[in-house]
Amino acid sequence: MAKKILIIEDDKFLRELIGQKLLKEGYDIVEAVDGEKGIKSIKDEKPDLVLLDLILPGIDGFEVLSKMKKDAATAQTPVIILSNLGQKDDIEKGLKMGADDYLIKAHFTPGEIIDKIRAVLK
Amino acid sequence: MFWKRKNKNKVFFGDGAAITNYLSDGLLVFDKDSKLVLVNPQAEEFFQIRKERILRKSILELSRFPNFRPLVSLFGGGIKGFFRKELHIRENFILEVTSSPMIIEGKRFGALVILHNITREKLVERMKSEFVTLAAHQLRTPTSAVKWSLQILLEEDLGELNKEQKEIIKKAYNTNDKVIRLIKDLLNLAQIEEGKYLSKIVLSDIEGVIQSIVDVNKKRIEKKKLKFEFEKQKDKLPGVMLDVEKMKIAIENIFDNALRYTLSEGKVSISLKSNKKEIEVKIKDSGLGISQEQHGKVFSKFFRGSNIMRMDTEGTGLGLYIAKNIIEAHGGRIWFESEQDKGSTFYFTIPVKEQFGEFITGEFY
Repeated sequence: MAKKILIIEDDKFLRELIGQKLLKEGYDIVEAVDGEKGIKSIKDEKPDLVLLDLILPGIDGFEVLSKMKKDAATAQTPVIILSNLGQKDDIEKGLKMGADDYLIKAHFTPGEIIDKIRAVLK
Repeated sequence: MFWKRKNKNKVFFGDGAAITNYLSDGLLVFDKDSKLVLVNPQAEEFFQIRKERILRKSILELSRFPNFRPLVSLFGGGIKGFFRKELHIRENFILEVTSSPMIIEGKRFGALVILHNITREKLVERMKSEFVTLAAHQLRTPTSAVKWSLQILLEEDLGELNKEQKEIIKKAYNTNDKVIRLIKDLLNLAQIEEGKYLSKIVLSDIEGVIQSIVDVNKKRIEKKKLKFEFEKQKDKLPGVMLDVEKMKIAIENIFDNALRYTLSEGKVSISLKSNKKEIEVKIKDSGLGISQEQHGKVFSKFFRGSNIMRMDTEGTGLGLYIAKNIIEAHGGRIWFESEQDKGSTFYFTIPVKEQFGEFITGEFY
């Protein structure tokens, strides 16, 4: 069965681009446009992996991460942060909070992001 | 009091000292027993305390006043000299403190402590870097979107492209990557100027740090058919205190220039030497070099060699500026020798561990 990826990303165009690429690679996708909807989707849809943006309207990505790691039902779901924040402090914070990888959007192509997803899902 | 003995002119040096009363900087004067003997009105205002309460008190007694605690901890016990240290007195109030011992005819007569209010400068500086950080982050989303779209087209996910189409999209992709690199440099720059540049300083081995940079660039060296050599010292080099991530950025910037601006089949080498005080790193290339007239500007922000700009439009002109800032933040120096069309040699030093401690405490007396 195809693996299900949840994309939490507020920018519509970025969401479409990465979504299209994932579909093409044979993944199922679910999308969420902000933190709150993201948390709901993690619970309802039980994705195999979450692609998480950090700067989101309302509840930000760090908070989404902390909430899902606290909930036993979702704590094991792997998370890849995909953000524009690239300071060392942010990267360390994200990884410390339990993210499996941290990618800076501008420094990776969709193909490379898929490779990272594959590596985490292995 | 000692200045009365030395000078009878009370207007200038006496108790009601006219000059010190009208200084815009705060002034504290300690005598040779480290007791406070003069406080001007500006200093009273800075510390929000009447001078009657603090005059004739020793530095240790002053530490009992909460307002004085930050200053006392700067002295750490006795009065000593230092230059322009920042002191956070309270929220949104920052002083720059200079302490200079007064030595008259070889005898120590106490010390002057000058307090300069830099709150506004600090605020403006912070606003400026915050603006750059914000703008750079805002630019990252659209540049990512462009990068991703072009990549998807290039990978022909949406259908085949003909040769010309592919060529143009490749150029657009590279141009966009240039903007992404510029944003990265601007963010590094904003960090430097916010002064929070060195964060995790650990005892490190510079040879290992350089080796890791060389390893990353191996393919590039082979592809360009460069003759590359890394001359290490036979003896083990002394340890240095580094913020490894930052030092890597500095060395990468210098090394990247050497590789980029040396024509294929040219020579690039890195060598190391050390003495008791410091390690010297030398990065030499047989590249395009820098013309004599431009030597003075090499480390300035946005500088690009005129000969280089004609050949390669990719650089941001920030690399060496950033490198210099990082190396100087470690207590090192950077300089170069260069001749146009013959090549450049960049040198920098890093103090060994023992020397670094002295640099950081910044004592010069």
